[in-house]
Amino acid sequence: MSPENEKHEILERTRNYVDGNHLFSRREFLLISGVMVVAVSSLEARGAKETPLIIMDQAKGLVIADPTKCVGCRRCELACTEFNDGKASPTIARIKVRRNLNFGPKGLDTGQRGQGNWGNGLVIQDLCKQCPHPVPCANACPNDAIVVSPTTRARVVDPNKCTGSKMCLRACPWEMLSFDTDTNKATKCFLCDGNPKCVEACPSEALSYVAWRDLTDKAPPRVIPTAVVPPEKAQTCNDCHKK
Amino acid sequence: MAKHGGWAGKVLRVDLSTGRISTEDTIEKYKDFLGGTGIGYKVIWDEVPIGTKPFDPANKVVFGVGPLAGTGAPCNGRTAVTTLWPTCWPKPLVASGHMGGHFAAELKYAGFDAIIIEGRADRPVWLQVADGKVEIKDARRLWGQGIRRTTVEINQQMGPEASVAAIGQAGENLVPMSVVMNSYSHSAGGIGGVMGSKNLKAIGVRGTGSVRIAGNKGEWEKVVKLHLSLLGSVNQHVVPNSPQPWAEYYGVTRWVGSRGRKWGAAEPSIETGECDPRNLNRISYRTNNAVFFLGEKAWQYTVRGNGCTSCPIRCHTMLKVPAVSSKYGIPAVGQNTCAGLILGRDFFKAFPDGPMGQTAIEACMVGMHLADDLGIWENYGQMQRDFKELYYNGTIKNKVGENEFKSYSWDKYEKGDPSFLFELLTRIADKEGELATALGLGTGYHLERWGIPEQEWQKDQKVAYWKMGHPKHHSNEDAGQCGVIINTQYNRDAQCHSHVNFTRNGLPIEVQKRLAAEIWGSSDAVDALAAYTPMNISKAKMAKWSLLRKELHDSLSLCNWMGPWIASPLKERDYRGDDSIESLLYSLATGDKKSREELDKVAERIFLLHRALTIRYMETKEMRAQHDTVPDWVFTDPASKASFTQGTNRMDKEDIKLAMDMYYEEMGWDKKTGSPTAAAYRKLGLGNVADELAKRGLLP
Repeated sequence: MSPENEKHEILERTRNYVDGNHLFSRREFLLISGVMVVAVSSLEARGAKETPLIIMDQAKGLVIADPTKCVGCRRCELACTEFNDGKASPTIARIKVRRNLNFGPKGLDTGQRGQGNWGNGLVIQDLCKQCPHPVPCANACPNDAIVVSPTTRARVVDPNKCTGSKMCLRACPWEMLSFDTDTNKATKCFLCDGNPKCVEACPSEALSYVAWRDLTDKAPPRVIPTAVVPPEKAQTCNDCHKK
Repeated sequence: MAKHGGWAGKVLRVDLSTGRISTEDTIEKYKDFLGGTGIGYKVIWDEVPIGTKPFDPANKVVFGVGPLAGTGAPCNGRTAVTTLWPTCWPKPLVASGHMGGHFAAELKYAGFDAIIIEGRADRPVWLQVADGKVEIKDARRLWGQGIRRTTVEINQQMGPEASVAAIGQAGENLVPMSVVMNSYSHSAGGIGGVMGSKNLKAIGVRGTGSVRIAGNKGEWEKVVKLHLSLLGSVNQHVVPNSPQPWAEYYGVTRWVGSRGRKWGAAEPSIETGECDPRNLNRISYRTNNAVFFLGEKAWQYTVRGNGCTSCPIRCHTMLKVPAVSSKYGIPAVGQNTCAGLILGRDFFKAFPDGPMGQTAIEACMVGMHLADDLGIWENYGQMQRDFKELYYNGTIKNKVGENEFKSYSWDKYEKGDPSFLFELLTRIADKEGELATALGLGTGYHLERWGIPEQEWQKDQKVAYWKMGHPKHHSNEDAGQCGVIINTQYNRDAQCHSHVNFTRNGLPIEVQKRLAAEIWGSSDAVDALAAYTPMNISKAKMAKWSLLRKELHDSLSLCNWMGPWIASPLKERDYRGDDSIESLLYSLATGDKKSREELDKVAERIFLLHRALTIRYMETKEMRAQHDTVPDWVFTDPASKASFTQGTNRMDKEDIKLAMDMYYEEMGWDKKTGSPTAAAYRKLGLGNVADELAKRGLLP
């Protein structure tokens, strides 16, 4: 595919996000909040220093979960942080079970009759969707610190660039970014460079590492994102998308 | 960040009388006792005066966890709760209750290794512990509510992630037979009334911090994976209960997963499969305690397994039994394990459709629904055994007034109608009437109140009563003399599983003997079940090892209902486990490198402090005669079979005397009194303990 064709295809795909029958376009709050200002960088300029980083690549894989098989042991959260960070820290785990364990993703709003240990038993494992363009966490970063991993093309935090602004935490509709108070950096799922520890650790085969597919329109958001896209990035969005 | 890995580094102390909240340095003050029961015993030794009663403000409750709690070490979810024990008869002595769930991990993430509760609040309160911030909160509106309602309301305040350990109405009403409970179904028996006496309704814990692993993270990953590879099913049964393509053996075990057996109430249902032990991604499908206790019918009601933080063995089973909603008006979903699971069923002698039928399962559902909300403790089934015995021998009718007797639907009871439990359990929690009040006291005080000599209970094998108000817990029926020795050592039921998790692991006796020789020096340490041979020294070594590992696990926060891990399901390892797994985990997590032998010394120190506490509060050194007693039924057989013959658990009196001799000798204690010598204390760094006992004339 020639660069021109590829660019055309990306634009088509992007239009679908905005105009089509897609979750993002249905959910107006996302647009209003200013996160989902869609942008495409010119392919030729990608990576050039003066141009803000806009991630266009799809990730190669992602971790998916089967809530009916989850037994709520949280070995995934512990493997994620112990084997990667040398500490047990569910708060910074890139798979998040704890918050849904007792009452389900809706918390206590559904009372005892909801999900989780106190409801019907279903434990929802929250996972990073390795979002397609536009990547909310990456776009919200004022330092372009969320980059594409060369091995898996996962969206990963570059700790050398991260200044701890927490803008990415506010940008993710699924609250999948974490902040490590020991390092003062954000952190997110980086797919363990292609061998996810959480998948390996699950004792009930509830997690799988699979070829990437778009789950952003499948899982309801947990929060309304409140981050804004830095102006220079917003300009890039406009450059690319103006008709 | 904490200085050491593993520990959070701080112990929280809350004086409910004054409202004073303070912290102590874990490493400085408690490192020699690790955590868990170790911290608990130390606090009681240092701070609780002789003559204190369990419900006095001077009694203290210590919620202790250890350096492995909250890490990814398998099976670390247990919190030890230590206090002067309200059902220990005739005199309250030190003991501990143990709860699983997510409380232990959350406490660590909140920055604490233990919480010491002292004094008594002047009105109902609950304790909020959130990331190092601690507050005593008004609980007046929670008082009178069940555990479920209390938990939900505290979660509304602290957020859905908080772990809440609460008491129900039973604890509020100072019923000694009451629990504190967290994470829906994880309880510590005996603690409810002590918390109630302090006006403490609940402790809510929420932490966003972490537990640091001191050692190299790659090394840690290796040890954790080694440990995982050695796991069997619940109780470390390493052999499946049905033939499997990978398995050389099968036997009577709790490893019930198999192809064709399904979590039938999962939507859609989930096959448990062959559970090849080399597949670490299917460990959780091996265990289903509902099926083990309630029979094959429980598969269809199984939603999934559940359990503690970090444990791949899901010993709690979540059941969905739709019929109970319409029949009894209770939620269709319920969960628990072992004694908690069968609490309701065990009150009945018979059911219309048999002990493993639908009605028995419904009785379990009703029992869990009521007892786990009211916060009632069943003392390892002793409450139900007492109840059945006293009803069917006519004592209840004689002891309670006519009006009260008539107020119970005994026709329902005799027919095995689970709705009878609504009458009985609510009254136990409310101390309503003579029967309910007496049952709530625990066996020792109940028998005393009704003028029944303890010896009556010690005669009867089927009542399974041991001593001091408490039942046997894995004694001669599971490990011959070793089991008997273990059951003499505590001030409640022994709660030790080190021995039974080996003898009942399902491996053929020849394999067990080979492994036993490697651990305890001789294959004579173990006998085939119900084919016991006379006492020998390796059985005493096994008893000592079992007790020390129990205290080690209770102090590190490893589950002694699962460990130790000296056998494995792996043929390629000749079914060996690894006896040093605890020290490997401890050394890497904390950075304090200790060998297996060195860590066992720490465990011995903790166990010895328990012994010293028992001696101090009993105010006698005559432990052998007055404490380490064995009930008469141990020396009987229902079919009058002789000891040491095939098919009996009957022990021999002279042989048990020899067993105790050998055990005391192995411990380095005085054989005549069964008390540790000054040298035994000093050897383990407990010189000050020896000095105090010497002053009181309590050394042999």
